[in-house]
This record gives sequence, structure tokens and C-alpha cells, in this order.
Amino acid sequence: MEPLRYLAVLVACLLVTLPLEFVLGARVLRRPRRLALVLLVTMIPFVVWDLVAVARGHWSFAPGRTVGLTVAGLPVEELLFFVVVPVCALLTYEALGVGRRRSRDR
Amino acid sequence: MIGEYTLLAIAAPVAVVVLELAVLRTGLLREGRYWAAVAITLAFQIPVDGWLTYAQAPVVLYHPAAISGVRSPFDIPVEDFGFGYALVTAVLLGWRWRPRRDRDA
Repeated sequence: MEPLRYLAVLVACLLVTLPLEFVLGARVLRRPRRLALVLLVTMIPFVVWDLVAVARGHWSFAPGRTVGLTVAGLPVEELLFFVVVPVCALLTYEALGVGRRRSRDR
Repeated sequence: MIGEYTLLAIAAPVAVVVLELAVLRTGLLREGRYWAAVAITLAFQIPVDGWLTYAQAPVVLYHPAAISGVRSPFDIPVEDFGFGYALVTAVLLGWRWRPRRDRDA
């Protein structure tokens, strides 16, 4: 299962944080247009950073430990990383705000 | 000679903070909620990044010249926390930013 190492940890991140949306009521996934826009804008500088880093040899990806599909020179998992981590951060931030909103309305 | 990734991992958080303070001015950095979210996400970065950089079977390999060589906790290059902080803050800034007229949306 070596090639799934990266993908597996991304899936785990989502599984852990999705309850924040559906159980705790964070409203992130239910604002898909705003989410898509924020993700896209944020991805640009970080994908550029990643491409520069790979080009300049700062880091590389172990052969056989990714699925093997690349997009724009980066493993597809790396691009998914730039979706998953921001989604997790947003879910966390919004879930923290739910508590505050609820106690304010009590 | 400081590694390039080390430099970028310092510059990126600074750049994002300057972006907020000087340009976007969302007030995000004054929120307790923001700092709590940062603490939580950086805490989760430890198992996630730890997995990706685990010395026995790393997914990501770093060139020694590009990094400081400080790896903690586990085998995580400390630079990754600078990257992570910048990414999380950038996303939250984007989420919080509203054009003036939409402020209460």
C-alpha cells in the first residue's frame, strides 16, 4: 500500500474534520461558491511555491510512495493537499465560531 | 549559508501577516478564534506531516542544503510549520475578507 501513503493521510484528515460541518454545524461546505473561490485564490501562491521548490530541489517526492499521477509537475496528492488542509482549517475555524454564536443566542 | 526553504518558511508567514495588517485588514489576527484554529491545525500537522516525513518511509524528501536540518517533532523539518502557518492564515484571511459593501454577509 506504499503508493497510497499520501492519499491515505489526506483522506484521514477529511474524515476527522467532516463531522465539524455536519455535526457541529460549521458552515463551510454549505457555502461551496465562497469555498471554491477562497481555495482557488489561496492555492495559486502555494502551488507556485511548490513548483519553485521542486524546480530548485528543496524537496521531492519519494518514488513509489505516491499514486504516480502528476498534474502540472506535482503529484496529484500535493494538489489535493492544498484543498484538504485549507478545508480542515476552515472547518476548525468555523466550528470554533459556532460555539460562540450559540452561547450568544442563549 | 541559510537554506532557501528555511528563508521562504520565514518569509511566507511574515508576508501573510503583513498582507493582513497592511492590506486586507480583516481583523483576523485579533481574534482568539483565529489563534485557537492555528494552534489546532499546527497540532494536527504533527501527525500528518510526521507521517509524510517519517524517516523510515518518507513521502517527501528534503534536500539538506535547502533546510536547516532541524527536524522536530519526529522527522518534520521545522520549516514545514512556517509553510503550514502561512497556508492556514492565508486561507482564513481569504475566508474572512469581504469587499466593503458585503461586510455583514
